[in-house]
Parts: sequence; C-alpha cells; structure tokens
Amino acid sequence: MKHAFTTDVVIGMEVHVELKTHTKLFCSCPRPAVDGETPNSRVCPICLGHPGSKPMLNRACIDMGLKLAVALKCRIAPQLIFSRKSYFYPDMSKNYQITQYEEPLGTHGELKLSDGSTIHVSRIHLEEDPAALGHLGSYVLVDYNRSGNPLIEIVTAPQLESPERARDFMKRLVTLIEYLDIFDVESCIIKADANISIKESGYTRVEIKNVTGFKEIARALFYEVERQRSEVAQGKKLLQETRGWDAIKGLTYSMRTKETEEDYGYIIDPDLVPTTISQEWIGKIRNSMPELAEEKVQKFALRGVDLEMAKVISQDKDLAEFLDATILQGADAELAAKWVRKELVRALNQEKLKLGKSKATPQQVACLIKLLKSGEITDRVGQRLIEKIVSQDIDIQSYIEKEGLGIVSDTGHLEDLCKQVIAENPTAVQDFKQGEQKSFNFLVGKVMQKAKGRGDPAKINELMKLLVS
Amino acid sequence: MMRVGVHEYARQIQEGSLDLKEEMHRVIQEARRINEEYAYFNIIDETLVKDQVDDLIKRKRKDLPLAGVPVSVKDCICVKGMESTAGSAILKGYRPLLDATAIRKAKDAGAIIIGKTAQDEFGFGSFNVNVGRGFKTPKNPHDLSRVTGGSSGGSAGITAKAPFAHLSIAESTGGSIAAPAAFCGVVGITPTYGRVSRWGLIDYANSLDKIGSMGASIADASLLLEVIFGHDEKDATSTHQAIPSLRAELHQDIKGRRIALLKDSFRTAVDSDIQKAATNVKAVLEKCGARVDEIEMDITSRYALPVYYLLAMSEASTNLAKFCGMRYGRAEPLEGSFDDYFSNVRELHFGSEVKRRILLGTFARMAGHRDAFYIKAAEVRSLIIQEYKKIFKSYDAILSPTMPIIAPRFADIEKLTPLQSYMMDILTVGPNVAGMPHVSMPCGQSKGMPIGMMLTSDHFNEAMMVRIASHLEVSR
Repeated sequence: MKHAFTTDVVIGMEVHVELKTHTKLFCSCPRPAVDGETPNSRVCPICLGHPGSKPMLNRACIDMGLKLAVALKCRIAPQLIFSRKSYFYPDMSKNYQITQYEEPLGTHGELKLSDGSTIHVSRIHLEEDPAALGHLGSYVLVDYNRSGNPLIEIVTAPQLESPERARDFMKRLVTLIEYLDIFDVESCIIKADANISIKESGYTRVEIKNVTGFKEIARALFYEVERQRSEVAQGKKLLQETRGWDAIKGLTYSMRTKETEEDYGYIIDPDLVPTTISQEWIGKIRNSMPELAEEKVQKFALRGVDLEMAKVISQDKDLAEFLDATILQGADAELAAKWVRKELVRALNQEKLKLGKSKATPQQVACLIKLLKSGEITDRVGQRLIEKIVSQDIDIQSYIEKEGLGIVSDTGHLEDLCKQVIAENPTAVQDFKQGEQKSFNFLVGKVMQKAKGRGDPAKINELMKLLVS
Repeated sequence: MMRVGVHEYARQIQEGSLDLKEEMHRVIQEARRINEEYAYFNIIDETLVKDQVDDLIKRKRKDLPLAGVPVSVKDCICVKGMESTAGSAILKGYRPLLDATAIRKAKDAGAIIIGKTAQDEFGFGSFNVNVGRGFKTPKNPHDLSRVTGGSSGGSAGITAKAPFAHLSIAESTGGSIAAPAAFCGVVGITPTYGRVSRWGLIDYANSLDKIGSMGASIADASLLLEVIFGHDEKDATSTHQAIPSLRAELHQDIKGRRIALLKDSFRTAVDSDIQKAATNVKAVLEKCGARVDEIEMDITSRYALPVYYLLAMSEASTNLAKFCGMRYGRAEPLEGSFDDYFSNVRELHFGSEVKRRILLGTFARMAGHRDAFYIKAAEVRSLIIQEYKKIFKSYDAILSPTMPIIAPRFADIEKLTPLQSYMMDILTVGPNVAGMPHVSMPCGQSKGMPIGMMLTSDHFNEAMMVRIASHLEVSR
C-alpha cells in the first residue's frame, strides 16, 4: 500500500466517548450506571433488541454531538442518518449496531495539541454501545445495562507522531469534552482503538482494539511502539494484525491477523428517519457554547496571570472555572491563580477530595486572597485556612477573629520572640555571623513558629537582622 | 349464529342486548372448529380472551367503537402475553412484554384479541405455504385444495370463514394483505406507509412494512383502520397526518372522478376471467359517473419487483440477525463457540425460504455488491414513487387486478421456481414499494373462486380510495 509517511511513528486514533446523558441513545432507560446495580436491571425491550421494538432517538445526544462538532470546527452534515452495522457477537442485542456510516455527523475537524500544532479529525459520529461481557469459568455472561449507551466516536487522521503526542491529543480531547459538559469522568467510559506503525517496519499497520480508560490508552500506545521497535531490532517481520491490550500484564497480544477488511454490510437503518440539522439549530448550539480552555487562557493572561500558569489551570475545567469565579469576586488574578493552582490543589489532594465535592467556594477563596494581598494574614495562616475551607463550612472573617489568626505586627512582642529564639539557638546565630544565610532563615522560621504562623514576616526579618548583626 | 356487520354487533354489545361472555364463548368454539379444518390460527388464546372479556365488562362500553368485537391478529404483530412467533419456529414460546400500538388501540376501543393467525414465516411468501417448521398450512376457505395466499393467509381465511362479526389486523410488506384478501374473497386495506404505528410489529422490511385491516366489508375494514391509525412517538416513521373518517366516505358520489386502469396489467399473463372482471369493474365505475382511462406505468412495471425483493431482503437479513437463540425464543444446549451455537439454532429453526432470503439479502448489501443492488434499488424506489405521484396529479385512483391468477392449488405451487413465485407479486409490489394505500376487494368469480380487484390511491388519500371502492361493493 502507498503511503506518504515520513515520521518515526504514525498513530491514528478512534476514540469512543460515552455521552453524559440521562437516558440511552435509543430508549428511555436511565444512562449512568448506579453503584452496585444488578446486571440486566437497566434494560427494556429496545436495548434488549426484543422483536417488535423500535429505536427512538434521544435528541439530547444530537445536541451534544453538535457541540463537539462545532468545537472541533467540523463540517456538519445537513442531516443525521443512522446505519446498521451487521456482525454477530454475543454483546450485540440485535446482532447489528446502530451507528453512522454514509454521512457522519461531522467531518474535516481539527484539535490543537499543547504545542499549537493541529491534528486533523476526519470524522465524528454517534453510535450505540454494545452490552458488557463478563466471564465466569468457561461461560461468558452478558450484561445489557450498557447496551444502547450513547457514544460519540472521534476519528483522527494518522497524524500523531509519537505516543506522547497521542496522549496529548487524548488529554486535550478530554479537557474539551469536559468543558462542553458532554462527558464526565465519573460516569462516562472513554475507549479507544489505535492504528500504530513505525518507520523501521515500513509502516506495517497494527491496530489495537478496545482499550478502556485514558491512562490505559496511553500505556498501550507506549508499549506497542516499544514492542514494534524491539521486534524489528531483532530482525523479525511485523504482521498487519489486530491486537488486544492486557491491562494487568501491561502488554498487547495478537487477536487476529487481518487478511481482508471486514464487511459489515451497512444499510441505512429503516426504523429511523433522517433528522434535518438546520443552520438555525447549529446557530443555537454556537450561541450556547461555553467558554473553552483556549478562551480561558486568554482571559486569565489578560488579567495578569502568568501565561504558562494560565495554560496549566485551563486544562482542568473545574479549576479554571473556580479561578474565573474567584477573580470575578474581586480577587487579584495573579495571586488567586497561584493560590488556586498550588495551595487549593494541595489541600484537595491532602483531603482526597474533588473540587466539585469540596466545600470550597470562590467567595471564600476570594476573601482569603484579599486578606493575603492586604497583608492582614500571613501565607502560613492562608494555607491553614485553605485546608479548612475545602472540608468545612466556615466564614473566613469570623473564623479569623474567633481563632485570633490575624497578623501580629506588634514590634515589642515580636522583638521578645526574636530575643528568645536568639538565646535558645546560639549555634545558628554563630553560623549566621559567619555568613550562613540558611541559619538566618532558620531563626526567622523559629520566630514564626513561636508566633503560631501569624507573625508579620517582613517585620520579623527586619527585627532579626537588627538583633543578630 | 348470523353474521352481522361489526358496527351493528358492537352496538348490540354496547347496549347490552348481546351477552358478551356468551358471544365470546361461541366465537372461540367456532374459531376452534374452523381451525381444525383450515388451520387459520397459530394460537387461539382462551385464557387471555377471558381476561379481556372480564376487563371489558368492568369498562363503560357505550362509546367503544369495537366493543366486544372479536379480532384476530397476524402472528407477526405482538400481543402482550400471547405467544407471538411471526410464524417461525425460532420464536416458539415467545410471549411479548408489550402490545403493539395497533393492538393497544384496538383493545382500548373494546376489541377482544382472540388469537394469532397463520402466515408465511416472517411474511416471506405470496401463498402462505412457506410456513415455519412445525406450523400448519392454512387452506382456502372456498376450496381446501387451494392456498389462502400470503403472507397474511390466516387473517384472510378466518375473515372469510368466520360466522360471527370479526376483524383481522393484518400486515403487508409487498402485498401480504391484498394477495390473501383476493384469494379468499374478503376486503383487505393496506394504508399509507406510516399511517399505523409499527411499534410491536416483528419486522420483515421496516421501510415497507404496513399494518392494515381485513374485514368482510369495506365498512368493517374501514372501522378498524379508523381505530388503529395515528401518530405514535414509539415509531419514528409514523406520520402526523390527521385521521380521516373513512366510513363517512362510503357511497359518496364519485361523479367526474378519474380512475386509471392499468393497461394490460403490466403485460403480465393475467387469467382471462380476471381480465374480464377488470372490464366489468370499469363499466361499473363509468356507470357511477367516473371516468376511466387506460394508463401505463413504465418504471413500476419493470422495476418494482426487483426493487421490492432487493430492499425487502436486505432489510430482512439484518432484522433476522437478532434471532440467535439468546434472550428469547428457541434455545439449544450450549455447545461450541458462539458462532457454532447461533448457526446451529438458526439452521434448526429457520425454514428454507427464510435462509434463502437471508443469504440473498446479505449478498445484496455486501461491499462489492452494495452499490449495484441495495443502493441502486433505493434510488429506483424514488423513481417509482415519482411515477405514482405523477399519475395521482391527474387521477384519484389506479385500478388493476390484485393477483394475475385465482388461488392456485397446493399441487401447482410445488411446480413453481422461486422466481415464478416472486412474479405473482407483480401487481401488488408497486403500491407497496411506493408506500401507497391500496384496497383489494372481491369483484366476481372464476371457477367458483373469488377474484380480487385492487384500487390504489395517493399517500394519505385512503378516504377517496374507500369512497370509490364502496361503489364496487354495492354493485357486486
């Protein structure tokens, strides 16, 4: 086969994203799985493929698909048409999957990677998820709870030149769909198939099928590139084949060597009528588009946030929206960005909380930033407070008053503390006098400790300098 | 038991001048007696009949248009809790969890569903001889050595034979209402595609399947349609058109109406008696003041048949994939791989015509053939619809015989090749491919067997079709 590849590695991705809907794609069965649900409890004649049942299109899925199509700058099909993709498999309730073939929802799209380069998205389309298979001894068990879940498939051109870039693509995509509010990592599955080939083999194409989860997808790609390189290095000839991913062993394994393309005998699904996608509809979607990561970066940078910092924060939708709201509450943008990115994230990790599940509000953080900016509290106190607000409902002002956390700038009191510290640490004083700057910081730290973190750091510095030199 | 019109019977049930329990008891007895000899039912469900009667007795019957009317249902239309197999062994024992929308509407109108009628397996046949494995073949009500026609053969047979007021909910994909109606001498109306919800219909070919009605008269068949017409959100192809009052059209004036008589019936070898009957009907219509012109349909006459079989088989081959011995219907001991298992189930429980159509349909949509067959057929279907539309700009209806022959003998059918057999649908596939409403009604006899004539009208113009047809009934 002819190709125009020149890079060391060529990767093309087909990413399947479960949409964040209330119901399935073609029936009214509830969509997000419930913890500990019984297999085959979230089913009906439609998603079980019972005779006589017919699919009913969930229009919310079209809206979500259109949002993504607009965000990826796709050409949008004038009408939505579904086809039947026929193949026999035990996870298929009808032994055909309702998907889009002739005219996908979107084509000719693009997504930007972190370095600003553009990856071509050849198509995006809607389709139904098959059931889930489980194994019990020599039996295969089928759970149709997943059957009929709405998926959107995103297909890239074979344009990703390394597993790192593929991972970056996935990361940017996940960020995007989170911003669009069509995906949430808690309740939606993300799966991928990938085509991978390397220069050394003459670009023999290997397909990895059905890897679930963002991290696993990246792992599988890194593994596969290494595997291909090492096979070629050992003088082996690579086969054009389909491989699976074993997440436990962390390796890919051969499923079948591809002799011919599979023939799915596509026909237009005659149970579903074409849905016209009017310019008016697309216009409505455009007008309802939320602010996306790129726009957040611009906005933060304009308000004085460091560009790199703005980019990092904007990759996390929840964090970016939190910062945005904090700045709206009147907080200094630069300081707020630093505190949100560093201290808030640290406090959340410490408490093992997601931002959405924590008690922290932009109002509280804005209040905290104002107090820090005006020097009414110290950084130490700020850190302590941020730990409090992620897990507890407190009013910052009254908490500071109650606990006496306001800054201590009383010269007499601080001088007493400095003197105590000098008396208790003669060696450190000695070291400083011989030019050890570290020892000075040590002494200042000790004073801060005695001041329970509330001492005005500038004043302590000043006093200590006077007293020890 | 005297057979009265459905409307009159329902009125007596509404008023209470007939005892519902007694009537239904007799209906079931008669149906069983007829079934012994003619095999019109795959199942007569006495238990569910009793439940329905009990329910109906509790309801206010006064305004129910089908109060207590015994209704038989083609086996491919799901009735909740009543074994529904579409005439196939592979669905033996399957009791649907749902009522088809047409069934729900009929029940709401007071109908009593008495059982499921015999059909060609999944509707795959023109004579109702392609019954599923282990199913009985229904026999013509006028001559036991002849076929009923298909695929709604059981519905037509019991409609002709029932000595009680009765309606049947039938289904047509390529002529499955008109053909048996013609062979058995009853009225069969196939409405416009999308008029009756397909929710609950076990699919043959979804873009062609239409649920319709059979009755002893135009009035009976129309009454049922008025009940089951209407939009249904559960079927995306169901239409929003207003429901016409068909019975108000009966015997209305047709003076000046224009009717197109199909010239030479598509150059098909039509029996001379049937050709004569067509000429008689023409004369009757002209006597009523209508103008009858002969027309030709070039595209439809040549391509409707291959278009029909290509589309129907392509769709059917995907529809039937779900029957694999999992989830419902027949199962076999678990052995070998999934492929071995489902192949075995399908091998054992599908009949040979089903296998033929799955193979042909699968072939027609495979990568190398798809453009030449499936895609081309879909394109030509549009041309056929255009041809009909053009005629309906000038004409109110098209008239032709329903079938080129009277009901053949079982012995004659055996001599036919599959292609000769498919050719029998030449006159009925046109309106079916185009989704046009059509009615077949008895108009004369040949060798003691009924002759059926067919009127086709434009999409959603069932009212005019019924109006014209009613004049043929009076003068029969």
